Amino acid sequence: MSEIIKYDVAFPEFRMSGQVLHPKGRNKSQQTVCYTDEDLITLSFSACSSILNEGHVPDAILFATSSPVFKDRYHASFLADLIGLKQGILALDIISTARAGSDALLLADKLIGSGHYKHILLVAAHVDFPPQGDEYLYSSGHAAVAMIISAEKGLAEIVNTQSFSSSMAEDFYYKGEKTVYDPRFSRGTGFKTNMQEAWKKTDPKADQTKQLIINSPYARMVLGMIKKSGFDTDNQVFKDSIKNKVGHTGACHALLLMISAMENLKGSVLLFDYMNGTNVIQFNINEAPSIAMLSDLTFTELDSYQDYLKLRKQGDFTDVSYRSEDMFSSEMLMEREKDQLLYLKGQECKSCKSVFLLKTTRCHHCHGNEFKEKKLAQTGTVYTLTAEHYFPSSFPPVNMVVIDLDGGGRVTVQQTDDMYPSEENLIKIGDAVKLVYRSMMEKDRKPNYFWKCKKINAKIKNE
Amino acid sequence: MQKLKMNKNIDIAIIGVGSTSFGDLFQYSYDDLVREAGEMAMKDAGITADELQAAWLSTAFPEIGVFKGRSGMDLAEPLGIFGIPVTRVSNFCASGADSIRNAVNALKAGDCDVAMALGVEKLRDRSPQDSIVKMMVELSHPFYQKGFTAAGTFAVYANRMMHEYGVSREDIASVSVKNHFHGSMNEKAHYRSSCTLEQVISSPMVADPLTLMDSCPTTDGAACVILVRAEDVDKNKHKPIYIDGIGLSISTGWDLPFFDSNHKFLSFQATKDAAAIAYQQAGITKPAEELDLVEVHDCFSIVELLTYEDLGLCKIGEAKDMIRGKATQLGGEIPVNVSGGLLSCGHPVGATGVRMVVEVASHLRGQAGERQVTGAKRGLTHNIGGPGAIASVIILNNEH
Repeated sequence: MSEIIKYDVAFPEFRMSGQVLHPKGRNKSQQTVCYTDEDLITLSFSACSSILNEGHVPDAILFATSSPVFKDRYHASFLADLIGLKQGILALDIISTARAGSDALLLADKLIGSGHYKHILLVAAHVDFPPQGDEYLYSSGHAAVAMIISAEKGLAEIVNTQSFSSSMAEDFYYKGEKTVYDPRFSRGTGFKTNMQEAWKKTDPKADQTKQLIINSPYARMVLGMIKKSGFDTDNQVFKDSIKNKVGHTGACHALLLMISAMENLKGSVLLFDYMNGTNVIQFNINEAPSIAMLSDLTFTELDSYQDYLKLRKQGDFTDVSYRSEDMFSSEMLMEREKDQLLYLKGQECKSCKSVFLLKTTRCHHCHGNEFKEKKLAQTGTVYTLTAEHYFPSSFPPVNMVVIDLDGGGRVTVQQTDDMYPSEENLIKIGDAVKLVYRSMMEKDRKPNYFWKCKKINAKIKNE
Repeated sequence: MQKLKMNKNIDIAIIGVGSTSFGDLFQYSYDDLVREAGEMAMKDAGITADELQAAWLSTAFPEIGVFKGRSGMDLAEPLGIFGIPVTRVSNFCASGADSIRNAVNALKAGDCDVAMALGVEKLRDRSPQDSIVKMMVELSHPFYQKGFTAAGTFAVYANRMMHEYGVSREDIASVSVKNHFHGSMNEKAHYRSSCTLEQVISSPMVADPLTLMDSCPTTDGAACVILVRAEDVDKNKHKPIYIDGIGLSISTGWDLPFFDSNHKFLSFQATKDAAAIAYQQAGITKPAEELDLVEVHDCFSIVELLTYEDLGLCKIGEAKDMIRGKATQLGGEIPVNVSGGLLSCGHPVGATGVRMVVEVASHLRGQAGERQVTGAKRGLTHNIGGPGAIASVIILNNEH
């Protein structure tokens, strides 16, 4: 038995409606879309950052996705380093289907139950671009979820977890080729049969269960069975209010539904997460979280399919004729300078209190030589700035912002998420901004991440 | 800070100057530029290559130009000067001035009797996007300040100056108008046309608020000076110009101002420090009164305004009044950049500092033609490089 003691979610700033994709697309269908400098890693980083700031240092990290960016490299280890977890901890990737999120939760529960781990960081993320031109047929929303699973008391108690395997998948990739079976056969033999087995073995009781969450596009195929067991399918089956807002978020989706339940319900909830097999997770919601993150999501809507293409192709550089190269040596450089570059550890002069992000042995101002480490804040005020019209970017100009951080220290970074210039993202001297971690160069084939900034305004809450 | 005092007993004189035209010199190779400037200076000094005992070659960016200038060899070969020490100097935009400083110090130390300082840069074989912009995108630190072009690193100063001191967009553009007017009288300048305030402001935006016409071009060119100790000047043969002071200072660093809140983006400490060294050596206490003309490093128009204050030509916050009152125009109280500055002459980086010395020398000799500053006796050259990291100031005098 384990508890979910904290969680956070991360979505891109941008979203597009079905109608932008295709005349036949529905306006109600919405999908979040990564900016050119966002990916699986940056979204995951964003989801992890705030829950780690408050303590509870994890001794294991599990990463779940069905849209991996690495092969022959662990996302979990990479992310652990980015967020400053010590090297050498248990770091596992669970990468296969959209069930990976609840797979990881199931595993986390068992690991906590073993008594060998105290706090496990579970991260699920989904960034997948459907085939070009067919986007309206899919509903792929980009998102990341981070949770801390612990033996301590928390927001929700995981009471029981079970998994029911199935050999049958409705559609899947075999050696890179997509395979789709006749749905009349596959959904019956796959989904329905597997769910019936899971249902029978878990034998849920209507009077002891507040709500059921069925995470599957074929959920209605089993409503009859649920009704027969005495459940009120109109009121006891949890409504997915997430998909219409952000799209289907792959490995995140089951976890987002759990979070949605935690923000709206109390009591016993049973999750059936189906995808080539079913995970059943029974959890008790103890208390509502202080901030309901899913109730007040705001996005910037994409104007056109062209803009969407610019985002998914990572820039076409039509505005500036420039051939981008891989950035030199950045991995080596990041490795040796990550205390400054990544963790924002500056030095504060003990005598004159000047703060230096770039390493020094002698204060440039009072010439003192004693320093103490100072972790710089990720919020600050714009000291000066410029808009660069000749730096290669899909969305010129690139705004360069010199920021005096709250509590001391200065950084100079690019503004991001500003493809549509507006009053809300127009940065001026004196404005409040926050740092976000993003991919640095468009078209760069190596992972090169660094800080950028966004304006803090009324629209961005609780961050 | 250590302030070097120039020993008055070992004063240094420039006895020969030479400069190529600046511009798109596609017909000239790097070696051609070296030959033309070098031979012009040696002829002016009345010496032959055999008399040179040491030389310094200034080229800042071989890798974004034509891959020439990586060692002193690239001066020796075109001029056919072998068997003497030739050293390549690279110190951002102060490279040219630093080559002169090195020559001066060697003469003072008695290491040689006749020295050459030659600056050359060939940038136009590649487009600016393939040279300067590419350098900022690919060859600079992968993260620190990534996103800036050269213009942007100075534009952040412009925006802070406007915010703090009430400098207007027109004040900044007026520098370009003035310098292009001066450049129209310089037959060796890259751009030789006057322009209007409206043309400057409405030209394509480079880094807000700086437009194309607030920015100097990349340029091909070379300039050269021949130096000896003052005691070796032959007044019958030479028209000597004396070096009253040379200051060079690295005061901030390339990245530091962008990562240390103590930097206010309202001045260049390097310029102040270099000027303090040079003024002390030259005995100058009231620069605006004691100097007759000034060449400053107007790579972007805003830099000229900042430099008025850093050189002490006016009080802090009053640079805008100098440009509004036309004090720095030819005929004004203290003409600045009568050559046309970098905005008109262009900026072959390694050559610029030497070109400025050649320009001031021509005024002090009374040979500057249409743009001659009447009665000029004492002048100053200034360079700033690596967005404020390094600066040089040289003070020249036609009397000893």
